[in-house]
Amino acid sequence: MALQIKKDEPEIPTASMADIAFLLIVFFMLTTVFSANKGIEHVLPSNDQDQDPEKQEAIYIRVFVDNQFSMDGKSYSIEQASEVHDYVMTKVQQNAQKPVIIHTNPEASYGDMVAIFDQIKLVETEIKRPVALTIPSKDEAEMYDLYGVE
Amino acid sequence: MKIRKTKSLDANIPTASMADIAFLLIVFFMISTVFSVDKTNVQLPATHKENRKEVVKGSAFVVVQKDGSLKVSDGEEDSKLINMQDLGILASSWMAKNKNLPVVIKADDGVRYKYIHDVLDKLRNAGVKNLKFLTEQSRDNG
Repeated sequence: MALQIKKDEPEIPTASMADIAFLLIVFFMLTTVFSANKGIEHVLPSNDQDQDPEKQEAIYIRVFVDNQFSMDGKSYSIEQASEVHDYVMTKVQQNAQKPVIIHTNPEASYGDMVAIFDQIKLVETEIKRPVALTIPSKDEAEMYDLYGVE
Repeated sequence: MKIRKTKSLDANIPTASMADIAFLLIVFFMISTVFSVDKTNVQLPATHKENRKEVVKGSAFVVVQKDGSLKVSDGEEDSKLINMQDLGILASSWMAKNKNLPVVIKADDGVRYKYIHDVLDKLRNAGVKNLKFLTEQSRDNG
């Protein structure tokens, strides 16, 4: 009489695999924040090398309180921000080193200043070269207020 | 003669690929997850798509809320409220650890510029170079 030995096939239990996987999915779904993680770059000048832009030469943009800004003495409202792009573009094509100063009133809104900044960055992307952009420090801004630029 | 009984078909849902699907989803969420250090809700200013550059992972964050209050994070810990006066010292300590640490300014669209100006001055004095103004994409022209 032949004895039959049943062979046990070795197996890794995979039944719980899907459960584990779904647990991980739930964890990542809950912790995911599709955050706004993009922005516009600006390089701050270092303190020791004090390179003042030639103020007479610069394109001088002032941002005012009531959604107004002026560019080389002409006033615009912030809706006309694309004027900055056109103006800076023509100037930069004539002189690649043309400095640009954005002088913002302390009470003006940050969004307005960024709107102007955005336009200048657009020029940079189009000409594929950085524009000599200056955001004056508080001391410099006070100097401009006291002595004027133009 | 015997007539064979018709075999009844076993109805079942194939679950073999379930794990594969699940892992695919895991991979997707793992890649897209950003463990952001700051969850403050601010209305960001809008800028053009071309100008928006990806924020470097591990950047320090300076958050300016609508009322001008400050929250900062060194890029590792969650952001916490601080005073404007302390920002200078804090930024200097970041720079001492890593002098090329990028700093992200996340400020509300409508905040008065004087707060930003203060922040910029403090960061500049601390020796910060790489700066990013966090924005969202403008809706009108791309």
